[in-house]
Amino acid sequence: MIEWLYLAAQGVALAMSAWFFVDTARSRQVGRRHFVGVAVLVAFLLAQLVAGIAIVPGEPGTGKGLFFSYLVTAVLVPVAASFWGSIDRSRWGIGTVAASGVVVAALMLRIHQIWEFQIHVG
Amino acid sequence: MSAEVRAPRSLADGFGRLIVLVYVVFAVSAGARAGYQVATKFAEAPLSFTLSAVAAAIYLVAAVAIIRGAPRTALAAVGVELVGVLAVGALSVANPDWFPEPSVWSHFGSGYGYVPLVLPVAGVVYLLRRRAA
Repeated sequence: MIEWLYLAAQGVALAMSAWFFVDTARSRQVGRRHFVGVAVLVAFLLAQLVAGIAIVPGEPGTGKGLFFSYLVTAVLVPVAASFWGSIDRSRWGIGTVAASGVVVAALMLRIHQIWEFQIHVG
Repeated sequence: MSAEVRAPRSLADGFGRLIVLVYVVFAVSAGARAGYQVATKFAEAPLSFTLSAVAAAIYLVAAVAIIRGAPRTALAAVGVELVGVLAVGALSVANPDWFPEPSVWSHFGSGYGYVPLVLPVAGVVYLLRRRAA
């Protein structure tokens, strides 16, 4: 994993989540600007995936299948949450998408652990 | 807009939507992880991995029940989940030897940021408030 890219993706996930939770508190409906926010996060996660495909196969560890299954899940979660949340007309529509940012951050933390202890070893 | 407010809301609307997202995420992640652990190293910690698989199944039941609007089933699943996380959490503190590897519910879900403990409480409160409404 490229460390700065990992930290940037974490920052984007948490910033998006904080922004969306503020909009939850303000009872905003899901709008175009929110989809732009999700798209930025997904772009960072896809960059992570591309970097992973380039780097991980050349590493010695054995956790590669785990790494990619977690990473693909991390890409899918905010996309699925956007569909699921955008149907709702209450404040919890955007609240649901906000929660997906926290889920992504947790998944990324786990992905980084797998990289450190099961892939980038020796 | 008032028509939308008065329209009967399903269990998966409003705050229920967020709850369903977390239940689905936990059903998938705990289920996939438990499946992987059972397949590769079941003998290392049979109790932990079995309990993780049970937890994943209950998360799935709760999510489906909320989506399909079955409040009794949802409340039963979430209630079992609350009892489960408290019982397994207490058991793992009393008998750490039984849990050489962590389970979703061991130590009250500390490995998952205590979300497994907060989730059933939020779920029970939400379902009871919806039932009262």
